[in-house]
Amino acid sequence: MSDSDNDLTSDNISGNSVSPVTIRNLNIEDDPRFELLAKNPKRTEILIAISFAIAAVLFVAMMVDYVKGANTQVEGGLMAAAFCLLGIGMVAWGKYLMPKGPFEESRHRTSSTDEDKKEFVDAFIGRGKIAVSRRSFLGKILGAAMGLFGLFLLGPTLRSLGPNPNNALNHTAWKKGSRVVTTDGKLVHVNDLDVGAFMTVFPEGVIKKSELEENQQDLYNSQTLLIRASVDNIVTEKGRETWGPQGYLAYSKVCTHAGCPISLYQQETQQLLCPCHQSLFNVLDGAMPIFGPAPRPLPQLPLAVDPQGYLIAQADYNEPIGPGYWGF
Amino acid sequence: MNLKNAPIKSVVLVVAVIALSLLYSLMTNGGNGALKNVKNVSADGSTTVSSTSNVSLVGSTDKPVSMSSATIAKKTDHPKFVGPLLYQNSGVRATYQQVQQGQTLFDESCSSCHGAYASGTDRAPNLVGLGPATIQFWVSTGRMPLSNPIIQPIRKPVKFTQAQILDIVSFVASQAPGGVLIPNIKGVSSATLAEGASLFDINCAGCHTITGAGDALASGAYAPSLHQATPEQVAEAIRTGPANMPRFNPGVLTNAQVNSLVKYVTQGIQHPDNAGGWNLGGVGPVAEGFIGLLIGVGLLVLAAFWVGDRK
Amino acid sequence: MAKLDVTKLRDQNPKGKKTVNDQIANTAEWFDDRLGLAKGTRIFFNKIFPDHWSFMLGEIALYSFVVLLVTGIFLTLYYVPSASLMIYHGSYAPLRGTVVSAAYNSTVNLSLHVRFGLLVRQMHHWAADIFLGAIAVHMCRVFFTGAFRKPRELNWIVGVTLLILGIVEGFLGYSLPDDLISGTGLRIMFSVTESIPIVGTHLAFWIFGGNYPGDGSIIPRMFIAHVLLIPALLAALIGVHLALLVKQKHTQFPGPGKTEKNVVGTPMWPGFMFKTQGFMFLVVGVIALLGAFAQINPIWQYGQYLPYKVSYAVQPDWYMGWLDGALRIMPSWEFQYHSFIIPNQFFPSVLLPGIAFNIFIIWPFIEAKIKKDKTEHHLLERPRDNPVRTAIGAGALTFFFMLFAASATDVLANYLTISLNIVLWFFRIATYIIPFIVAAIAYRVCIELQRAGDAAGKRKRFNVVWRSDTGEYFTEKSPARSDDVDYLDGEPEESLELTPEVSKMVNEKADLIASDRNGSQESTDSNPEDLQQISRD
Repeated sequence: MSDSDNDLTSDNISGNSVSPVTIRNLNIEDDPRFELLAKNPKRTEILIAISFAIAAVLFVAMMVDYVKGANTQVEGGLMAAAFCLLGIGMVAWGKYLMPKGPFEESRHRTSSTDEDKKEFVDAFIGRGKIAVSRRSFLGKILGAAMGLFGLFLLGPTLRSLGPNPNNALNHTAWKKGSRVVTTDGKLVHVNDLDVGAFMTVFPEGVIKKSELEENQQDLYNSQTLLIRASVDNIVTEKGRETWGPQGYLAYSKVCTHAGCPISLYQQETQQLLCPCHQSLFNVLDGAMPIFGPAPRPLPQLPLAVDPQGYLIAQADYNEPIGPGYWGF
Repeated sequence: MNLKNAPIKSVVLVVAVIALSLLYSLMTNGGNGALKNVKNVSADGSTTVSSTSNVSLVGSTDKPVSMSSATIAKKTDHPKFVGPLLYQNSGVRATYQQVQQGQTLFDESCSSCHGAYASGTDRAPNLVGLGPATIQFWVSTGRMPLSNPIIQPIRKPVKFTQAQILDIVSFVASQAPGGVLIPNIKGVSSATLAEGASLFDINCAGCHTITGAGDALASGAYAPSLHQATPEQVAEAIRTGPANMPRFNPGVLTNAQVNSLVKYVTQGIQHPDNAGGWNLGGVGPVAEGFIGLLIGVGLLVLAAFWVGDRK
Repeated sequence: MAKLDVTKLRDQNPKGKKTVNDQIANTAEWFDDRLGLAKGTRIFFNKIFPDHWSFMLGEIALYSFVVLLVTGIFLTLYYVPSASLMIYHGSYAPLRGTVVSAAYNSTVNLSLHVRFGLLVRQMHHWAADIFLGAIAVHMCRVFFTGAFRKPRELNWIVGVTLLILGIVEGFLGYSLPDDLISGTGLRIMFSVTESIPIVGTHLAFWIFGGNYPGDGSIIPRMFIAHVLLIPALLAALIGVHLALLVKQKHTQFPGPGKTEKNVVGTPMWPGFMFKTQGFMFLVVGVIALLGAFAQINPIWQYGQYLPYKVSYAVQPDWYMGWLDGALRIMPSWEFQYHSFIIPNQFFPSVLLPGIAFNIFIIWPFIEAKIKKDKTEHHLLERPRDNPVRTAIGAGALTFFFMLFAASATDVLANYLTISLNIVLWFFRIATYIIPFIVAAIAYRVCIELQRAGDAAGKRKRFNVVWRSDTGEYFTEKSPARSDDVDYLDGEPEESLELTPEVSKMVNEKADLIASDRNGSQESTDSNPEDLQQISRD
């Protein structure tokens, strides 16, 4: 960058051309652009000083408040006021008590001169010819080696982070004969729910005595909505005749759209609404999606009643729960 | 027959007749058992009160009532009148006077849609057998009475006093036994807040949102804000499942759990710890985004307007 | 090597006492002896910053980033990046005795126990919202004025990268507290990752350490990405962004004396440095104001995330909101071939941002290609000067705004008491129609503004009645005010051939006329002699 690249020139901005001189040679007193914007600099100065002083006082007040317990609103209010005062004072200082300008800076073309380009090319190609052009295969091998190292790095930085999916998405913690329990681990009796009631249930064993010991993955996968609907209204799909004893319907609580837990049960309209993206499922008709983005019905858990009257699962879900994913 | 006991016996007889006819009318007419005044409900909703019996009710599904008002008048102040149970875990029953006053109020404000005996019309559902909790919830939240039936009534200023509401509840409950009794919330003070919060997350936040602000549901329904609900109303809503809300019967939530929920809703939700300042309506990041962009970026753009040059 | 001439820095002090300036001079000399900074610093001090206010928008982002760094360092002192479960024993009653993760526990304690902690946390969150908001507004300025054109395409790309990184950084930070709402967001992110063809499912399992919600390693992983990896990238790219700006110098709006060959404005030292420092204080002040009085993300109310708990009305922060809105309005399509599924969430949450950001990045090249424009541009275009670009930009902005609004379908339905289904259908259709309408309107407005010519935005010019020597009267438009000069050619619009002195006189006259009109409406030509003289010139 040459000296004049960046020097402020005194080119008259409004058109009258005077020969450019650098800022160093400029007599500051004579140039109108070095006048201040403030009409009454003394007053501006005093106002700025006051705002800085108040800010200082406010910072002291913050310290006092901190010692007294640091109320968020008091601390924040003081801080906001102090910084706004500092900001206003500082901007005013820069705006009203500085040369009002405008100044200009000349701009040269961005690209290098032809001469510079030529010299660069000479240096790069000329000298490099010996080393590079004639031995390009060395560069290729080097590149390949580094590429392989990069490929290797994918292992420790990505592959080793977690297990492969394998079969994890195809099954849940529900098994044949799993007894249905509530979030408290209580068994669900067939008389527990009135028509129009619902609850979140899990297979026995997933809910532990202490929440600290629970397996979060099992909790997520096996969460199921248990709804009791009026038997007369249920439309039973073929093959699911025995799945809903006495109007009990159990659907996976995981939305088939983006995986949110569905817990909006509209009892009157018999719909399930996903809280995240408002997919709507028809409870009475196999949880078919009737509105919103969800593309598939919620998987239904086949239920049965054991001899003691408790609800059990006939089997695990017969399809993957949750949102779609790329198969493998 | 001992003449000494004749008045009592005759009254017992009358009561038996009334009870039987009530039962009969319940079975046949869906609860049109009259206790006192009978009201004419015409198609346009105007009502005329008639003190005579055997009046044909025009424009409603109600059927003529086969009971003389004179018979009823006799038992008005009878000590052996057995009113419906109102409260859970307590023997408190509605008094005859409450039922009477309740019917008057019901006639004035409810019968044009729900029918004179709460058995429902084509405009509004049958209330018989729903139980005291349901009726008290709808009336005490101001949702009822309603001038025009809509999908989901909203909370309004309450039209009646507490006592009047209980009268209406008593009247409707007197039409048939059963239903959900008004929950006993005496145990709320000893309930645990944390249990309530946890239950709220699982059972309530899905619709009412985690801050209880409420939100729109599908098909025109909505989950109302919980910020005005009284402890009794919270418990009633949980137990009865008004409108689209699911019912949480004792098999789903125990009384203790309901009490915890009531405690959390009336304390944690209605008086949240907004340590951070104005809660922006408690509707989450959308409101925060608007404030951040409009006030945050907006103020700073204005500041830039001052710092910079406007030409 | 000549010694640095610092005599000017020194006060001419006859008493020979050491002054502050002497000390500065000595320090400067010490450093210059070792680093030779004088010339470079002078050049830097002389760098000109255009004064127009719209050039401050990027600074809002810069200074909110500073706030983010400072508040963020404070937060790391208290935050525990661990998903291990524990029992909460703090003061917030609704949580007491419940099982929480260490991350959530520490965030609640940081909010409710640590003095000054909640303010800093809220400032951090507001600063993030403002950071990305300012980037968006700054980007609009750059786009609509064509500041991205040659030679600044690289800086545009750096800027878009900063935006993308900022969004990722924001999402990670939002997810760290492990509260109910952010946990739901994380689950959606798992689904989104799962939907990427071929690698998606594996990628999701690896990143989360297993099937959702993983083995708990996602929290420390997000933490290190949030506090180290991405901030380092952001800081480095901000450095590159500014270095390119210094190297290529600022663009500027056309105006008097402003050409392709210069930059007009305030030099770095001292004017701009003071102003920008003050502006930084203002940014801190506004963020502190919001942090103090507007509660943001009160996670103690939300509770610990558990996989089966959920709240309604869950949305991400605004900068992710458009993706959430896109997820909501997506029709229920899914493509399946044997076990290979392209799931529904792939289209709105992977494909859409992928296409959008790629278009952003290559936009300067698209435009240059279409216009066959290979020249350098340092003077900005006003939006009206390029109606097509303005229309496209306005349409795109509207599209993203509609998507953002669509992420609040439930909140809107609730506030407007309209059926949720209707609101959703509205957005499903309007999101694709309204942008075109807005684009058409923007185009039309540009054309109209062009037609209105340069009168637009200027003060009214009055008709002046002239009398010739022979006593003949005729009317003429008064010349433009001296400061209402034409934007495009840099010269005042001349209706008469005027010398500068006469022009000044006429301006005074025009001002007088204007003030008279506003006042008594009398004596519009108070001094006909002057006017006669002018007309002869």
